[in-house]
Formats: sequence, C-alpha cells, structure tokens
Amino acid sequence: MSELLDARAATLLPDGEPLRRHDAAVFDLRRRRDAAVAALPDFEALRTHAQAIKTHTLDYLDAYLERFESQAAAAGAVVHWAEDGAAHNDIVHGLLRERGVRRVVKSKSMLTEECGLNPYLEARDLEVVDTDLGERIVQLGQELPSHIVVPAVHRSRAEIGELFHVHMQTPSGESDPVRLTEYARRDLRPRFLAAEAGITGVNFAIAETGTIVVCTNEGNADLGMSLPPLHIASMGIEKVIPTLADLATFLRLLARSATGQPITAYTSLVTGPRAGGELHIVLVDNGRSRLLANSTHRSSLACIRCGACLNTCPVYRRAGGHAYGQAVAGPIGAVLAPALSSQAEGRRLPLASTLCGSCSAVCPVRIDLHGQLLAWRRTRAHAGAGERVLQRAAAVVLGRAALLRAAGALVRLCWPLLARRWPGNPLGVWLLGRQLPAHPGASFATRYRRLKGSKR
Amino acid sequence: MSARDGVLARVRRAARHEVSHPGAFEPARMDSGWERFASTLHAVGGEPVGPVQSGDLSWALSELCADAGRVVMGPGVAQSLGPGPWEELPEGVSPQSLADVAVALLRGSIGVAENGAVALDGRHAPVRALPYLCERLILLLETSEIVPDMHQAIARMPPDATRFHHFYWISGPSKTADIEQTLVLGAHGPRSLAVVGIRDLQ
Repeated sequence: MSELLDARAATLLPDGEPLRRHDAAVFDLRRRRDAAVAALPDFEALRTHAQAIKTHTLDYLDAYLERFESQAAAAGAVVHWAEDGAAHNDIVHGLLRERGVRRVVKSKSMLTEECGLNPYLEARDLEVVDTDLGERIVQLGQELPSHIVVPAVHRSRAEIGELFHVHMQTPSGESDPVRLTEYARRDLRPRFLAAEAGITGVNFAIAETGTIVVCTNEGNADLGMSLPPLHIASMGIEKVIPTLADLATFLRLLARSATGQPITAYTSLVTGPRAGGELHIVLVDNGRSRLLANSTHRSSLACIRCGACLNTCPVYRRAGGHAYGQAVAGPIGAVLAPALSSQAEGRRLPLASTLCGSCSAVCPVRIDLHGQLLAWRRTRAHAGAGERVLQRAAAVVLGRAALLRAAGALVRLCWPLLARRWPGNPLGVWLLGRQLPAHPGASFATRYRRLKGSKR
Repeated sequence: MSARDGVLARVRRAARHEVSHPGAFEPARMDSGWERFASTLHAVGGEPVGPVQSGDLSWALSELCADAGRVVMGPGVAQSLGPGPWEELPEGVSPQSLADVAVALLRGSIGVAENGAVALDGRHAPVRALPYLCERLILLLETSEIVPDMHQAIARMPPDATRFHHFYWISGPSKTADIEQTLVLGAHGPRSLAVVGIRDLQ
C-alpha cells in the first residue's frame, strides 16, 4: 500500500476550484469526442482498421524504418538514429552548435519532453522558445505539461495572466483568453522571424514516401519549420506508418479523438528540406525496441498521442497530469512508464488505476489499456521481493475468513490514528490532498447480518 | 556498432513478420456537395464564399481584399484574374520579407466535405511560410474538386505531391483553446480563412 503513497501525491491538483475546473475542462473534451464520433457512421470500423495497420506495421517495423530512412534521404533529408534520450539531445545540440545557432523555436513534441531536450539545450546557452501556447505557458511556469494535447489545462486564466505579466510585461490582472492569446502571438512572432532553427515533433512518418506529417491547430509548427533555414524533426521509431493511403485512417481518428474536431486546422506533409534549407530527422529508440520485444506490451507502441484516454480517466481527471511525474500522463502514460521511464516511480504508476476500462473504450487504435495496466501489475507482483511478500500476505489474509475479520477489526481500531496527519503516519503524504472518509463502525458482514435480521 | 545498426538489430529481432496489412479501408458513403463542405468549413471557423462563376471571381476577390493592406497572390491564381488590389508573389524572396502580408490569395486543390480541409499543393505556395504568416488566408477551390472523405482526398493527391517538399491540408483558421478551453482564432497564423468556391474555373 505505501508504494502508492509516494511524494508524487504532493503534486496532486488541490481540492476545490482547481480540481473542479480541471475535471470539467478535460471531460468537456471527452464529450466533444463523443459528439464527433456519433457523427461518423464508420468510426468503430476505422478504429479496427487503424489497429490492424499498427499491428502490421509494428510486426514489420524494421523493414518500414529502413524504407522510411532511404526515402527521406532520397528527398534530401538527413536521418539520424539515437539509442536513447541522451543520444538524441547530443545529436540535436551537435547540429545546432555546428551551425552556430543561438535561437531555437520549438513546437510541441512529447518525445523531446521525454528526452528532456529543453533543459539540456538551455544548460548549453541556447535560447529555446516553446511556441505552442499551452507549452509556452508551462515553459514560463517552469513545469512539465500536464496533458499531451492541452499542456496547460491545470492552469487558470488568472494564473496564466499573472505568468504573462511577470514574463511579458502584460497588464497586471489581465485574464481574458482572447487578449492573453494576442499578447502571446505578438511576443512570439518576432521570435519566429529571428529563429535560426526550428524543432518539431512528428505525428506520422510515411515509409512509402519518406514524408513526415505534423498536425497542429495553431500553425506554430509550420512557422517553425518554414522560417528558419534549419528544421530538426524528432520522432520515436514507432511513428512510422506504411503508406500515404494509411495516413487517411489516422487523420480521421486523431483530432476527433483528441478534441472532437474533424481534423486539426493544419496537417502538414513535409518531404525533404525547403529550398535552401536543411531537414534533419532524428529517430529515437529510448526503450521502444525493448517494448516491441515484449509480446504482452508491444501494442502500447500503437499510441497516436490523442489524449482521449486522459480525458475519460477518473484518476487523471481528479489527480491532474503532474501527479504522474512523467512527460506523458494518464492511462497511456501509466502503461508506457514502466517500460520507457528511467525513474523507479514510473514503474508504480499501473497501481494507480481503477481498471474501469473507460480508456480502452475510447482508444482510437484499440489499445487494451486497462488490460495493459493489469498486466504490468502482474509483472510487478512477480518481480519485487517486497511486492511478493505483500501479495502472499494478502493471499493468506483474504483466503481465511477469520483472519480477514481480525484484520478488518484492527483497521477500524486504528482508523482515527490513520485519518489524522502526524509524523510517522504511513498515509502522511496521501493525506496532503485528501481525507479518509468516516468509517462505518462495523464490517460489511456484520451490517449485512443486522439488516437481514431487521427485515425478518 | 552504430546507433542505427543497434536499434535496427533489436527491432529486427522483435519484429515477427507475421501479421499482414489490412488493405484499403471501405468508408461509409457520404455526401460531397459544396453545401456539406461549406457547413463543415463554417463549423471549423472558416468562411465559405460562393460558389461563384469564374467570370465573377475577380469581382468577388476584390470585395474580399478591399482595404486589406498588402495582398499577395500565389501561382495558379493570376491567369483567372484581371488587375486588382493584389501583387503576384515575387520569385526567390525570403519568407521573412513576407511578414507584413495581410492577405494571401492561394489556389487550393482538393476540398474534403467531412472535415472542411482544403489541399494546398507546395507548387501553389512556393514560399512555405506564406499561408501561416498572413493575417487572412483566402483559398480558391473548384467545387468539382470536393470529395466526401479523407481517404478519397489523399487518393486524389497528385503522384508527385510528396516530391515538392510540402503539401498542406488546411481546415479553418489558426486556433487555440489552451487557456481554459476558450476557443481563440488566430493563435499564430491567419486569424481568418475564406474558401472561395468556383463552379467552372479552368
């Protein structure tokens, strides 16, 4: 039990208004998704088709990666390979250093978050400006994105106004979203025009043509990859899809699942560099090939990062993304973290789930997310010695009615102590954001007998 | 061993080469008329205009661009228009020199009824940044080029489309909802997008 109650609990969304707002905002995305899905008669068939394309692609990933590499190179792009996040950061920094680049504009990329690219470059005296509005807000606030599609969903308009006031000298107390967006636009436009390099993520990479596809609503990635002479695109190796025709299936699913839009405002297909410019594509493994070799968990590599599982998850909605402590939060974050995260706490995330299955029901590529979470728990139960002892103890107690009754009585006895915060309380950190409910005074079995007796 | 060989070797060991590709998707039949396209475009924040006869195009565009400031017209538009408040996109200019463009007038190619997207072939926007730098984007679209769904839209892309470095699908103006889910148009790129339908443009 105490495994769940690590220091991350302190980064839970506070009770009250922030929690209510967050819950409403992300569930609104879920509702918009539902409306978009209802309007498309073949949505369920599309999900099945997308899953089949991904299953096939992962099964032939070596061939598709080689095909993508040769086609991208034929179009004039330079393809780099990185074993892990550190190697990725080193390649990107090398490209920037060789060209004397000082100013970089960046669009949203969960991969570069995973690799920790921004702090790496900033420590080497580069000016890195995140240009997606939500990413810019979390960059100014010096925090991780809390959602993969709407990174600043945990922030109120007043908090954002205050951040802009401090960092961009906007009027104090301004909290109107339209005016705040306009201030950000005016602050960022000259940075786009002056940037010497643009870094973007990649939504899909087409093996057939060597094309990278970038989807945004703001158009920031497009400015970032079309104004500076150098464009660096970072992508995980699982982003490859076979053909241009396959792209249609994913484009129909991605935005509908994410925000309920029929497609993002901008879907940009880029094959090779622009005239007089350079395009470098960095293919990153960082644990993905290991995950591919794991037959139980390889399907989690099919994820297209739409965020639908976050928006519907009762744990994510109430906890907020920062509670996960990972670049990718929510159910998919909890499924990927045990395989991809370097931090030990990432491996505990599958425990923080109700296994309600809502995530699996909305996933556009039909990843069995709650099944994956359960499978990670099983792996964990068999792996750690402490965990094994705990599981065996639980089996013993749960297997003997008398022991269970005794354990229940003991917990009821200790309840007032557990519910209060005091040094040494094993629930201490957990109680920072929550309260234990009042306990019912008697076990379920006792109350059931009483009720039955009173009815007779 | 290089990083490339290391990654590929591990991927090769893990790939099983068993599951075949599912083939083409058979989409449900949907309408592809201008009306459906226009109502989807409206829903994503764009302005459908027309459709107009090609003979009326010059007049319609003059109306749309009146008092707008600098109006730049891309290739493939000029031959159908007479003189007006626009200049042709100069050749070989830097994207930075287009930072003050108020309206970009570009030729779109394929319209998608299900999502309001219009294709912008790189050949019709030789300066990649132009459709994102302008305050207002106007795309011309022949109504005969509207298809019902994204599958047919991608099938219609010219075979050499991916050899011209960039090919855009644009659905509505630039937008964001990053501040408390409030929709704001014009986050970075155009604040507005008009798609002018043309019935008989050659």
